[in-house]
Amino acid sequence: MKKLLDHTLKPFIVYALLVLLSSIPVYFFLVDWIWSKELDENNQLIAQRIENEFNEQNINDEQLAESIRFWNNIQPVSKIEAANRTLTKDSTYTIRRQNPYSEHIAVDRFRVLERIIIINNRYFILTVETNVEESEETIAYIAAITFIFGIILITGFIILNRRLSQKLWKPFNHTLQKLKSFRLNNESVVSFQDTHIAEFKELHIALDKLISHSITTYQSQKEFTENASHELQTPIAIIKNKLDILLQDKSLTDNQYNIIEEINLTLLRMSRINKNLLLLAKIENKQFEDVQQFNLANTVDNAMNELDDFFENKQISLQKNLQPAIVTSNQALTEILMNNLLLNAIRHSPTGSSINIRLTGHQLTVANAGTLALDKNTLFDRFKKTAPDTKGSGLGLAIVKEICNNNGWTIDYRFEHRQHHFTLHF
Amino acid sequence: MKVLIIEDEQELANSIAQYLSEESYRCEFATTYQEALEKVEIFNYDCIVLDIMLPGGSGMKILEVLKHMNKQDGVIIISAKNSLDDKINGLKIGADDYLTKPFHLAELSARVFSIIRRKQFDNTNTVRHHEITIDLLSKTVTVNDQEIILTKKEYDLLIYFIGNKNRVISKSTLAEHISGDFADMLDNHDFVYTHIKNLKKKLTDAGSHNYLKTIYGTGYRWEE
Repeated sequence: MKKLLDHTLKPFIVYALLVLLSSIPVYFFLVDWIWSKELDENNQLIAQRIENEFNEQNINDEQLAESIRFWNNIQPVSKIEAANRTLTKDSTYTIRRQNPYSEHIAVDRFRVLERIIIINNRYFILTVETNVEESEETIAYIAAITFIFGIILITGFIILNRRLSQKLWKPFNHTLQKLKSFRLNNESVVSFQDTHIAEFKELHIALDKLISHSITTYQSQKEFTENASHELQTPIAIIKNKLDILLQDKSLTDNQYNIIEEINLTLLRMSRINKNLLLLAKIENKQFEDVQQFNLANTVDNAMNELDDFFENKQISLQKNLQPAIVTSNQALTEILMNNLLLNAIRHSPTGSSINIRLTGHQLTVANAGTLALDKNTLFDRFKKTAPDTKGSGLGLAIVKEICNNNGWTIDYRFEHRQHHFTLHF
Repeated sequence: MKVLIIEDEQELANSIAQYLSEESYRCEFATTYQEALEKVEIFNYDCIVLDIMLPGGSGMKILEVLKHMNKQDGVIIISAKNSLDDKINGLKIGADDYLTKPFHLAELSARVFSIIRRKQFDNTNTVRHHEITIDLLSKTVTVNDQEIILTKKEYDLLIYFIGNKNRVISKSTLAEHISGDFADMLDNHDFVYTHIKNLKKKLTDAGSHNYLKTIYGTGYRWEE
């Protein structure tokens, strides 16, 4: 991915290069034109002066012819010849000539003026030449200078771009960092850096609105879960107690008794879902913040003792290898986590199988027999049941995950050798 | 025996009273904080069933008043909040037990029974039922003065039955008593049967009469 300012830099550089390149011929023609114009003027002046000076000498024709021959010999830039024709107009042109004093090829360029002058009432052709810079050299110099300026320009662009992208995007990057570290359940309000850039200010206002709306929604959702679960406990309690009283009725039949038992079990399940939802809400609300150090091996042992009826019920044998592992956590939550992990293993184990528990210094693995791998992605989601006829609340593993999040622990799942492995890293 | 039920939910209070009155407890009601405070200050009760969340104030305050007045009433808190802090606080201030809603009336009855018996100092905390004697403090059981060794679960079941004499207790209620919330996740409740069978055997082996009767196939009743 390219940075935003890099996108603008490239067309800028291309445009600058094009402008500079096209300036080269323009500069050349301009410089050449100025040269020619100035030299033509210069040639005119020289021709004028030569004509005037000769006329002011007041010499006879013989002396004149002598002088002209002498002039032509020593004057390199002008030549006077007797004219046998009359030119009505001055002629100006450019010629190129090899430098006679140079041994290698060195062509010089000259600007020439040919004009008819009148000395002693006789016509002469005066040719005045002035050396002009060769066009190749001009082009080369202009191109060289343009090239140097081009490099200065591009280097400047790149440095400016780098500086600008750091400076301009600083508030943006700051905002981005804030957003990246934002967690809905942290309940921390995000405050953005003050900026005087209109776009960023607008972005901040929009983000503030979005975040505060999300927080409010999240809060009310949590409150709703907690309140709903709470309020449901009383009606469940009433039904449960009415059933207890109904059970004492002397005229109850076996069939009616069985129906009461079924309702009892359903109510039990209902109240457990409720309690689990409440528990989740409480963990999310950080209501288990008091932590202490204890040996996780003891927690595992206690949980196994508490669930021994469940083990016996399914004739599940337990293989355990527990080494002491000191953790810092909320004890009540850790007990719930252990119970849920073990219960999960027991409930999904076939009767007569075995469960393997291994605790080392930094991880705990619970493995139980299974036939098919479970979907890793949804395993820890709420109300995602893996087996069709399970009696679970669908919240057991969600609670495990939430407790791990709360403690900064991780839990992962893998299926190996026809066994489900749940590994807790702490 | 006088029991005060402090509970704002009328239906719940009625059910509790109906169930407890069969145990020859006399039940009185208080539905608001103010009413409860007045009754607690004037009368003495053997046991108070106390809801924490009351219109007009917290049940915890009533607990504090009781403690301040140095009253010996047994208190059992019933709360919809399953909060460890509330539980610890309540027990610290002077409650004798804490029960989370929803609960079975048999559970409440057994606990009320235990609290009242524990509070009777003249009786040295023992419960007598014909040839069976239970020491609530040392948690020992003797039949015809001969001690029998019960597991914790068997002992719990015995107290549960004696606290619910002549009442039908279903298997699921017993499973819930033993396994708590997890009872419904079990595929079957045969373990209840196993514990009861062992308890029965230990009692009758020691020469006790068999008071525990099976009813409706899977229900139980402790008969006098």
